[in-house]
Amino acid sequence: MLPASLDEAVTALAASPAAVPVAGGTDLMGAVNAGLLRPMALIGLGRINELRGWQYQDGTAQLGAGLTHARMGRPDFAALMPALAEAARSAGPPQVRNAGTLGGNIVTADPAGDTLPVLAALEATVTLVGPEGGREVPVSHLLTGLDPMRGGELLGYVRVPLLHAPQVFLKATGRTGPSRAAASVALVLDPARRAVRCAVGAVAPVPLRPLEAEQWVSGCIDWDGDRAIDPAAAAAFGEYVAAACVPEPPQADPEGLEGGPAAAAVRLRRTVSVLARRALGRALK
Amino acid sequence: MTDAGTTNAATTNAATTNTARTHAATADAATTGYGTDPLDPASGLSGFGGADGSPRVSYLLRVNGVERPVNGAWIGESLLYVLRERLGLAGAKGGCDQGECGACSVQLDGQLTAACLVPAALAADSEIRTVEGLAADGTASDVQRALAGSGAVQCGYCVPGMAMAVHDLLERNHQPTELQAREALCGNLCRCTGYQGALAAVEAVARSRAEAAEAAEDAADAADDPDDGTGGAEQAAGAVVAAEAAQAAEAPVAEPVGQAVQDEYPVYADVEIPGQQQGEPENYDPLFGPMDGLGAEQQFTQPQAQPQYAYPGYAQAPQPEPYQAGYPQPGHPQPEYPGPGTPPEGAEPGVYVLPHQGTPQGMHQNTHAPEAGA
Repeated sequence: MLPASLDEAVTALAASPAAVPVAGGTDLMGAVNAGLLRPMALIGLGRINELRGWQYQDGTAQLGAGLTHARMGRPDFAALMPALAEAARSAGPPQVRNAGTLGGNIVTADPAGDTLPVLAALEATVTLVGPEGGREVPVSHLLTGLDPMRGGELLGYVRVPLLHAPQVFLKATGRTGPSRAAASVALVLDPARRAVRCAVGAVAPVPLRPLEAEQWVSGCIDWDGDRAIDPAAAAAFGEYVAAACVPEPPQADPEGLEGGPAAAAVRLRRTVSVLARRALGRALK
Repeated sequence: MTDAGTTNAATTNAATTNTARTHAATADAATTGYGTDPLDPASGLSGFGGADGSPRVSYLLRVNGVERPVNGAWIGESLLYVLRERLGLAGAKGGCDQGECGACSVQLDGQLTAACLVPAALAADSEIRTVEGLAADGTASDVQRALAGSGAVQCGYCVPGMAMAVHDLLERNHQPTELQAREALCGNLCRCTGYQGALAAVEAVARSRAEAAEAAEDAADAADDPDDGTGGAEQAAGAVVAAEAAQAAEAPVAEPVGQAVQDEYPVYADVEIPGQQQGEPENYDPLFGPMDGLGAEQQFTQPQAQPQYAYPGYAQAPQPEPYQAGYPQPGHPQPEYPGPGTPPEGAEPGVYVLPHQGTPQGMHQNTHAPEAGA
């Protein structure tokens, strides 16, 4: 079933509530191929042209949920939303980026979803379209389940503020080349509010915002000058973020168990701390 | 095609009503000799998930410019599965079924996509191009020849996907840098060759295409010469012929490959450096530079792997049979669905039906219950 407009898709979903909406299918078909999911019906969202583009709206960018990662990685996009473009570019191999979409990334809410920390750091909002009309929900509320999607709703648009300031997305993976993130950090500067916003992905089921660390570090930055920061403060920011986002490691691994949970937690803390320090350094460079 | 083929083609447009499907199944049974259609929900078999009433659809796929009907396919079947098992196009390979390996790469509406992650039913009005579509008129494309010629093939499992990725890259970027080539191929895992051959193939094809285009331009310029006013169409045809000739002349791609590799990367013992010694001083080693202090017999020399097209006598060697595109040949009836396996001895025909042997374990099987909480 391939509806051509968002309204048609909502109607189709209302008519067959058991149907699974499919955008890129990269996560869905992985589950189907693994035998974890047996859809009773599919509603393909790939032909809805209104969801495949983006436009300006009141100082924000309204992104269609059907934007593919390949599209988001292009230079015109990178000029406005560099962190989102970088996350899209590093999300996977071309075969997957050509199919996988922004909306699918949000709805699947995979812990390692690469665009999620960026959207959390940007404080994006999503437009959910249901039979009763649309409503806007902050993306963090959607991801944490504070305001989940209701039955019959589809994710229509993502509204991202245009900050016109450096943004950085960094991720640590297990191999060179694109693969699943072990940890990722998105950091955006908001010079108008004199704030640094940072989100850590892949270390928890949802992206985490170290709010205290953000507040502290935004006080360390010389906003009126060249936005410089003391390297020691940047390093301390990294430690602060890691301590906030990765739980305290257990004291030590049991005898004879090398690379156990304690070692893994220490390594993850170090990874997050280095990513956060580098992200801050690059944003302020 | 046999009766079953025509019957199925006739029912293609007739929606997926159960009766139509049952008629088709009866025709199948009559022609194949095996009793029930394993894909028919009405047959009550669980082999492909028919018993639970999982929904089935029929649709047309446009594969390599040809409309191919797909009948009674479960909606969760991936494009890879449909291409391989229902349409007989086994060029795209199934590696991981998770989009990690790139062996199943196909072009969907001109976009390189992992076929295992595309629900086939939703690709119904897309233009699909598989590796079989690269080989025009039964001869391998320049990319495929370059991959073979530069040693990018060992076990060969990744090569169809690699060929699609290289084609896709060169369609969008005629002169890719090495980094761009690496980024384009990063989704195609190869466990044998280490990618150097594939990167060399990209460069060789880019170069040969650029030279062919240049030759065509020159020929076109010659055709536009105002002094020679005779037969513009013939001149244009001549230009095309010249371009083809230039491309054919470039087909033996091994020669530039070695040089390219040697310029860019450290030289390993297994890298082909054909014709390396030409034009070099007597005591020059490609690896260590001038070797003045050593006698000829003491020199370290690069092991000369045999380039595909450059060894003496290649022109006389019998050419291999041209590569056959993967469409079913006329006269060989192809089953419309993954056919029943060979019944064990003593089994009654018409009762015993095995899932197709090519089906990966756990795919499309009812026995694979969804795991709780997964």
